[in-house]
Amino acid sequence: MTVVIGFEGSANKIGIGIVRDGEVLSNPRRTYITPPGQGFLPRETAKHHRGVILTVLREALDEAGLKPADIDCVAYTKGPGMGAPLLTVALVARTVAQLWGKPLVGVNHCIGHIEMGRLITGANNPTVLYVSGGNTQVIAYSERRYRIFGETIDIAVGNCLDRFARVIKISNDPSPGYNIEQMAKKGKQYIELPYTVKGMDVSFSGILSYIEDMAHKMLNSGQCTAEDLCFSLQETLFSMLVEITERAMAHCESQEVLIVGGVGCNLRLQEMMGVMCEERGARLFATDERFCIDNGAMIAQAGWEMFRVGQVTQLSDSWITQRYRTDEVEVTWRD
Amino acid sequence: MASSISDNHFELSIEVPFPSQREVSIALQSLSPDREPRAGGTIKTLSASANALSVKWNAVEARSLRVSVGSFLDHLALVMETMDAFGQPALQ
Repeated sequence: MTVVIGFEGSANKIGIGIVRDGEVLSNPRRTYITPPGQGFLPRETAKHHRGVILTVLREALDEAGLKPADIDCVAYTKGPGMGAPLLTVALVARTVAQLWGKPLVGVNHCIGHIEMGRLITGANNPTVLYVSGGNTQVIAYSERRYRIFGETIDIAVGNCLDRFARVIKISNDPSPGYNIEQMAKKGKQYIELPYTVKGMDVSFSGILSYIEDMAHKMLNSGQCTAEDLCFSLQETLFSMLVEITERAMAHCESQEVLIVGGVGCNLRLQEMMGVMCEERGARLFATDERFCIDNGAMIAQAGWEMFRVGQVTQLSDSWITQRYRTDEVEVTWRD
Repeated sequence: MASSISDNHFELSIEVPFPSQREVSIALQSLSPDREPRAGGTIKTLSASANALSVKWNAVEARSLRVSVGSFLDHLALVMETMDAFGQPALQ
């Protein structure tokens, strides 16, 4: 049996999870929630993580009922993400790895999402849509790489949603995306927005500027409600994502789609993707907020795969990096 | 602690005592891997003796020196807290 503990803190969530041969033993998490209208900044986010990380670590061990001696390997997020929060978490991971005399494994955050999604859903070789606050990529596996077929050319889809939420002061608790999703259910009219698919890529910054510009005018004049805007934004963004996912599937002759990342727990996105899959006779795989949203177990799971094939990170190579593309990693654990 | 100032140049040295060589070595290896941001022009050098961690800064700007020292002390405190909270079981 191989037991891996995973440390994640690349954005506003700090999570520590323990995985034993595909079984999640514990996965506690805390979220840094900012007031409506405000985003999270690196310094403050790092301070939040620093304040709770040792408590979360204690919880992870206690919930799993394990002692440090039971752990075989310490995995942590090497990148990509915000520098200060990444470093806070890496410092604790490096320190406990040495205290406990365990090897360290630096994990690519995106790979963590993919491996967690594969573990939880059992999807074998899916086309992956990775959608979160910091990333938007359509990915397919080939010859030891998760290859990026399409991606955003500016901001991530979750960033577009988060920043729209700030414009009309939607609460960030539990997350702006969740609140937009709930409001969108009450939307009654579709407001036309720019639709910006560029080949295999997507662009969201123009849509954000457009809606930032018109939101208050339309709301003040009573032409539409905030719910209508939430609905229209979701429909537009998600249609674009479904379009590029479908094109990647056609290229790869893939019959499986896996949605991962924080935006992936949006049920409307899953529904729209489900319709497309049904038309193609393909299967859709998605997970709920426990595993879609950043968490420690996903880093533990990717670390478990890496450790099992003998990959470890020397302490001197354990620096964190804000930029770390999904396709930089050689996937040594898959055929 | 020692510091000195000459034209466009700042230096600072600190020594952090630890109970044993093992703790010094852990702190050194936890705090060493990440490079200073290049733009600041600050160079930080860490080294270990039998029971102390030595840190030396060379900087061209007081402001970037202060930022570097401030974040280093934060990181050091986190590493020491982690040792206090989770250090014992490994010694069993």
